[in-house]
Amino acid sequence: MKKQQFRVEDMHCVNCALRLQELEDTLPGVKSVHASYRTGKMVVEFEEAKTTNDQIIQAVRKLGYTAVIDS
Amino acid sequence: MPELLVAFITGFTTGGLSCMAVQGGLLATSIANQIESDITARAGRNPSRGFKIGLPILSFLVSKLIVYTLLGALLGSLGQVLRITPLAQAILQFAIALFMLGNALRMLNVHPIFRYFSFEPPASVTRFIRRKSKGETTFLTPIMLGALTVLIPCGVTQAMMAAAIATGNPLTGAGLMFAFTLGTSPVFFALAYFATRLGAMLEKHLVRITATVLIVLSIFAVDTGMNLLGARFTLTRLASNLIPFGEVAQLPTAVQPAADGNLLLNVVDKGYRPRTLHAPANLPVTLTLVTDEVYSCARAFLIPAIDYGVILDATGEKTVQIPPQAKGTVLPFTCSMGMYTGKIVFDL
Repeated sequence: MKKQQFRVEDMHCVNCALRLQELEDTLPGVKSVHASYRTGKMVVEFEEAKTTNDQIIQAVRKLGYTAVIDS
Repeated sequence: MPELLVAFITGFTTGGLSCMAVQGGLLATSIANQIESDITARAGRNPSRGFKIGLPILSFLVSKLIVYTLLGALLGSLGQVLRITPLAQAILQFAIALFMLGNALRMLNVHPIFRYFSFEPPASVTRFIRRKSKGETTFLTPIMLGALTVLIPCGVTQAMMAAAIATGNPLTGAGLMFAFTLGTSPVFFALAYFATRLGAMLEKHLVRITATVLIVLSIFAVDTGMNLLGARFTLTRLASNLIPFGEVAQLPTAVQPAADGNLLLNVVDKGYRPRTLHAPANLPVTLTLVTDEVYSCARAFLIPAIDYGVILDATGEKTVQIPPQAKGTVLPFTCSMGMYTGKIVFDL
């Protein structure tokens, strides 16, 4: 299980963070998503065998946001 | 009950829009989706479709209304324990103002620091709500969702919750939250119907409108706090000087200066008559407060400078002993919400 932090700076309200958390239900292999509007960050816990950082970034883009890996 | 009217209007305008931003996307949209599924399933079989669409939304709103009213009663009770001094209430009003202003600046994207004014529910709570909202369409679901909105109050709702604490009365607190939530209901109802049609552009305008109204409300909250501190120059006092009331003419005895130190103040639903009392300097003064079926916050009478506060009976009389004051002293008085004001001038 991998835990990766992303920067999602274009969230404009708490509801955006709630929408991103829905990835828990829609993206295969994702165990948990914790998105915070306050910090503009999203932490995703996922199985590397089932999904990748790029797939997560794509899924975020489909929701209308831009995710960047936070090093 | 002007404070209830204010709460209702706040709910109808800023509260509804704010709920739309925080609760709308997660809850109302999921209800709308459920309703759409319901419609699809029943298409061609049930001619009374309109009624069926409305019922789940109404269940949601009624449930929300009940829960927030109970919350208001709880907060009012809490305020009863916490509230005593006008100073504490003034501090609360300033905190409300700061909170509203911070939220307005956050909405306008002035600086990321203002994001800390938003309320972020724990992920476990939002996860629970989300999973419940995706359950089967039953009347229990919208009722449960309506009740769960209490866990994710929007910025304006939180400000109203603080105001409910400030009332220091469970009944008034409940009334305030009831009026406010009722005010948000039409907007929420409309959202449930038209959620999918709201475009990003419209949403952007709504955010700006909400932010602007929040700024205006925060100015009023500061003004209320200043009134509670007994400030002589506030917007409310300025407005009350500019807008005369007809009732004064009907109360000639109260308008006359009282050289003997006995003052009469009529407490009415819309405030205090007369707004300015003249009293003798360097003498003890007896102020008689008269109420006659008064049910507004004017009953919660405060003289901040001498730290005096009383909740008057709806109908009755109450006397207040004011110690001697130097010539030229002005003692402002106010209701506990800082809405109605007046002053005693010691110039006789």
